[in-house]
Amino acid sequence: MRKQPLHALLTSAALVGGLLVVSTTSILAADKVIKIGGLFPMSGPGSYFGAQDKQGVELAIEQLNKSGVNGYKFEVHYEDSSCSPLPATQAAKRMIEQFKPDVAIGEECSDATLAIMPIMAQAKVPLLNAGSSSIKVTKPGNPWTFRIMPNEVMQGIDIATNAYKRLNARTAVLLHENTNAGIGNANVFADTFTKLGGKILADIGFGRDVNDFTSIATRVASLGKVDVIPTYTLEGQGLKITQALAQAGVVKGGGGKSIQLGTIWLPFGFEQKAGKAAVGYIRIVQFDPTDKRDTVHNFIQAFKAKYNKDPTHLNAHAYDQIMLIADVVRRGAKDAQSIRDGLAATKNFSGVTGSVTFDKTNQNIKMDTVHYMETKPDLSWNALKWN
Amino acid sequence: MLTVILQQGINGVVVGSLYVLVALGLTLIYGVLVQINFAHADIVTLGAFTAYFVTHLLSGNYFAGIAVALIVGGVLGWLVNAAIFMPLRERGNELLPLIATIGVSIMLQNAMLVLLGPIPYAFDTPYSNSVIHFGGIFFTVQNMLIIVVSTITIGLLYAFMKFTILGKALRAVSQDRETAGLMGINPNHVIMLTFIIASALAGMSGAMLGPVLVLTPFAGTSVIVKAFAIVIIGGFGNVEGTIIAGLIVGLIESYTTQFLDPGLIDIVVFALLLLTLAVRPTGLIAEKREENV
Repeated sequence: MRKQPLHALLTSAALVGGLLVVSTTSILAADKVIKIGGLFPMSGPGSYFGAQDKQGVELAIEQLNKSGVNGYKFEVHYEDSSCSPLPATQAAKRMIEQFKPDVAIGEECSDATLAIMPIMAQAKVPLLNAGSSSIKVTKPGNPWTFRIMPNEVMQGIDIATNAYKRLNARTAVLLHENTNAGIGNANVFADTFTKLGGKILADIGFGRDVNDFTSIATRVASLGKVDVIPTYTLEGQGLKITQALAQAGVVKGGGGKSIQLGTIWLPFGFEQKAGKAAVGYIRIVQFDPTDKRDTVHNFIQAFKAKYNKDPTHLNAHAYDQIMLIADVVRRGAKDAQSIRDGLAATKNFSGVTGSVTFDKTNQNIKMDTVHYMETKPDLSWNALKWN
Repeated sequence: MLTVILQQGINGVVVGSLYVLVALGLTLIYGVLVQINFAHADIVTLGAFTAYFVTHLLSGNYFAGIAVALIVGGVLGWLVNAAIFMPLRERGNELLPLIATIGVSIMLQNAMLVLLGPIPYAFDTPYSNSVIHFGGIFFTVQNMLIIVVSTITIGLLYAFMKFTILGKALRAVSQDRETAGLMGINPNHVIMLTFIIASALAGMSGAMLGPVLVLTPFAGTSVIVKAFAIVIIGGFGNVEGTIIAGLIVGLIESYTTQFLDPGLIDIVVFALLLLTLAVRPTGLIAEKREENV
């Protein structure tokens, strides 16, 4: 019997611990409000996206709600979409039924975004996406989904062209997770690279449950001279791949000659975690902290003041999502339909990641959101200024 | 090509050793209790984080990290069994402890998520990036450590089970709990001992896996499905079978990566699982439950 209180306590703790915590920013009831639904991964391997997105969103909301925009203030409600289709659809339905947003932002992972798009379209709620690269998000897409970052085709063509022309690469090995985005990005690179005259030595896909990449690095090492290794993974697997390739002596960070090419999937701070293995790594980021524009400078200062650390590209693109919605409200939007129409009419919006002009498929056509960075021996970045 | 085959063999043994460490705890608990412990994965994760923080706090003393992870795992096993599983077992419903393991798993996972955040940790030990190249083969000192620690652990566990009174008591309870009780063995004490050993193994396997895994609060779940498969292939509750199955799965993974495609790993492993269930439902080794544990 004496065990019973501890048993009860731990059982209660299990229930409390198991509950998903969702939060909503609070504003006064008298304010006119634009309700923003945030569909971000808060759990699972992509949860680092959600944690950083939320920081960018909160900063933007805090700044905007000081004075409001056209008499409107902004309220955000988050749901955990888990970077995966099933939980994402459940989160989207829950958000629409309970919160009834005027506009939604998210997801980061393409598979999850593709899953929630039809739900948002059916509910006639515009979805503003910043981090999913799959071409399917905007092609064919739907009238209610907008994307502010270049899609996998735009990025893939650009990376492959730069690899061939600027790095003189002639052979490549593709490493990617087996998701819509991973496969799609790899395919675009392969198509462009081979059309230019390059050769793909191997196309290696893997599940998100793979942990040890020594075997994959061994296989890459056995393929002979590999000039570039485009890699499409989330941060955790990306770290392990980079370290395994260095241990196998394949990439520059391990004394080899191959150059690993990465995407915006990797957050800032990746190089510090990967250590010397990351030396020579070239990747695109969605935010250039060395950008001299006042918008960028002010954002960095405000972010540091609030969080006592430098912002990442995830912080930046989440901030841009809210600021773009505010811009649309400033232009007169007040509900889901007018926000959608306002987003569609966006031309040359200047955000901290770059500029935004949507085409007929609601894809941002500007390439100034893509910044190439090379990791130096001290693990800092060398901005390559290729765009 | 011979070098590549040898290299992938080493890679497979390293990964297989890690799987064995995780699966041994599962198989011990099943052998004694005939219970699946879903919380095992999260004790592995907790062990990995414990080793991470201890190693960093003690300026890179990884061995201290392994030792503390082992102790933390054992203490957690004792606590969870005493506070949750044992009272539920006393109610006589076999389903309750099984569901409770899921509850404990969710609790641990979310507690770690709240405390440690979702962003992957880079757990580099002083041995992670020390690479030895020998005759076209490469391996890190960390990988050597994994093989050595796994071998020693398996040897000690085997000796404990075969040659100590406690080990014999554990096997006796595994074979027939009631008869063991009539012989003067307290089954509750043996079950507690099993939980402590299995959880200590989970904590230690976490410490070994930490530098290999993508270290997040969900890290353990990525290996636990394979560990369950290994336990089934080896013969539920059979230590020798678990060791053999773990190494086979590790080798299958590395050779599938080299000669087929890493995307096919799960298909090949679970095809082996289905084949085992079809041809030899008791697993590679076990024929009778009395032989287990």
